[in-house]
Amino acid sequence: MIKLSDICYTYMSDGPFEKAAVKNVNLTLNSGEFIGLMGHTGSGKSTLIQMIAGIVKPTSGKIAIDGQELYAKNCDMRKMRFKTGLVMQYPEYQLFEETVFKDIAFGPSNMGLSEDEIKRRVFFAANLVGIGDELLEKSPFELSGGQKRRVAIAGVLAMEPEILILDEPTAGLDPAGRDEILCKIKDMHQRLGITVILVSHSMEDLANLTDRIVVMNHGELAMFDKTAEIFKHSEELKRIGLSVPQITEVCSRLSEAGFPIAEGIYTVEMARAEIERILKSEKS
Amino acid sequence: MLKDITLGQYFPGKSFIHNLDPRTKILCIVIYITVIFLIKSFLGYAALAIFTALCVFSSKIPVKFVLRGLKPIMMFVAITALFNLFLTNGRVAWQWGFLTITYEGITLAIFMVLRLFFLVLGTSLLTLTTSPIALTDGIENLLSPLKRIGVPAHELAMMMTIALRFVPTLLEETDKIIKAQTARGADFESGNLISRAKAMIPILIPLFISAFRRADDLAVAMECRCYRGGENRTRLRALKMSYRDGFGFGAIILFTAIIILTNILSGRLGLV
Repeated sequence: MIKLSDICYTYMSDGPFEKAAVKNVNLTLNSGEFIGLMGHTGSGKSTLIQMIAGIVKPTSGKIAIDGQELYAKNCDMRKMRFKTGLVMQYPEYQLFEETVFKDIAFGPSNMGLSEDEIKRRVFFAANLVGIGDELLEKSPFELSGGQKRRVAIAGVLAMEPEILILDEPTAGLDPAGRDEILCKIKDMHQRLGITVILVSHSMEDLANLTDRIVVMNHGELAMFDKTAEIFKHSEELKRIGLSVPQITEVCSRLSEAGFPIAEGIYTVEMARAEIERILKSEKS
Repeated sequence: MLKDITLGQYFPGKSFIHNLDPRTKILCIVIYITVIFLIKSFLGYAALAIFTALCVFSSKIPVKFVLRGLKPIMMFVAITALFNLFLTNGRVAWQWGFLTITYEGITLAIFMVLRLFFLVLGTSLLTLTTSPIALTDGIENLLSPLKRIGVPAHELAMMMTIALRFVPTLLEETDKIIKAQTARGADFESGNLISRAKAMIPILIPLFISAFRRADDLAVAMECRCYRGGENRTRLRALKMSYRDGFGFGAIILFTAIIILTNILSGRLGLV
């Protein structure tokens, strides 16, 4: 369980460029949940997840993971960081090793694991993101952009974190690559029962994957609810520069046109089932 | 850690000093630095302190912010002071084993510390009140007479502009890479010197790669816009001197005169 109480973060405090990035956020996320995080650019999403990952210390407020308070005196921060895996935006720019294998092994070897365990985890993580064994001995700088991204994500997955945090992991990828990576993340979430926090600008991705969604606006927590509930507030989302999935938009237009479609539809599958149901009942 | 770098940081404002022509400020700072090394007495340093304080005051930049620029050079200043303190010949003031402190050493050490402090204060006041672009424009303009003897003034200024432009970008990049590697369990704090140096590798390699990539991108972008150096280029903001610059030069000349006066005075009276 991740518990945030009164979290604030201020950039460049006491300078001319002082700016509050996160203001008074209170949140409780349960273990094993798939959480979506959305907000316009500069709404404090990245800062928020970096604080949860133990990389950025909040200016004020408390963060507790499974009861252990982060940044407290008795807290071993390195150990806590192994618990949370953070994939930052454009993670391919953090690659540095001679070979893909060594780069993926960087995290696990920092954890002080045995050779065999590191090997197992590297193969496991590489396999998970679709990096073939023949690429492991190559230099990461010879790979294509999409492959580099996968290697970088594998580098975090190999640490087998209990909480996986992804900051726009699919930005700049082609549609096939995007779907594949998201599919793998979902698969991993289900198989290993880990908590996932996904930052994304794609309403479709968030609709398809998440249990609950956190909406940030100008550093403040704007909404936090079940995915279905969030997408019912289409007006409010639009006002803060976000939107709803296209299919939700389609359904609300249908409803306006007098078609008796139910509210709260946010995936194509749901819409299809609902429309089929209505059509059938009209026939009979 | 990265936020402590004040040197080269611009603090936007509309004060008298901000509004001076960059050429005036550059010339004044050159005179100021020369004068610092001419001062021979504490009386002169007092005058220097008053003049610098007036400049800082009229720039309307918080004193705390200006003084922050001194932090990174503290170590260097301390070492310089120690060298001067122990390695100057003269009348012995204190002796212990091979360590000797002379009266001349004490004076020289204090002078050195003061000189370095005012040097950094003056130059950081220049960069704090002048935007990097104005600064390089000023430098280019001042160097342009040297074009006749083959000094590539425009190219030098362009290189400086680009370098300054990328300081914040690279700092941000470094910050991001440090965060990413910390998240992967990299440890920068513990261990001896060698293991700490090794811990820098995961930061430096991605940083160099991204710096090269950015340089490449920028070169392509400049080519695409047919950039070809300084000939016949006009400026959006042409440099123009105003009555303020007259005041600026007047002030620095007056200051120089006062310093020379203090040197003569202290020489006559036999003061240090």
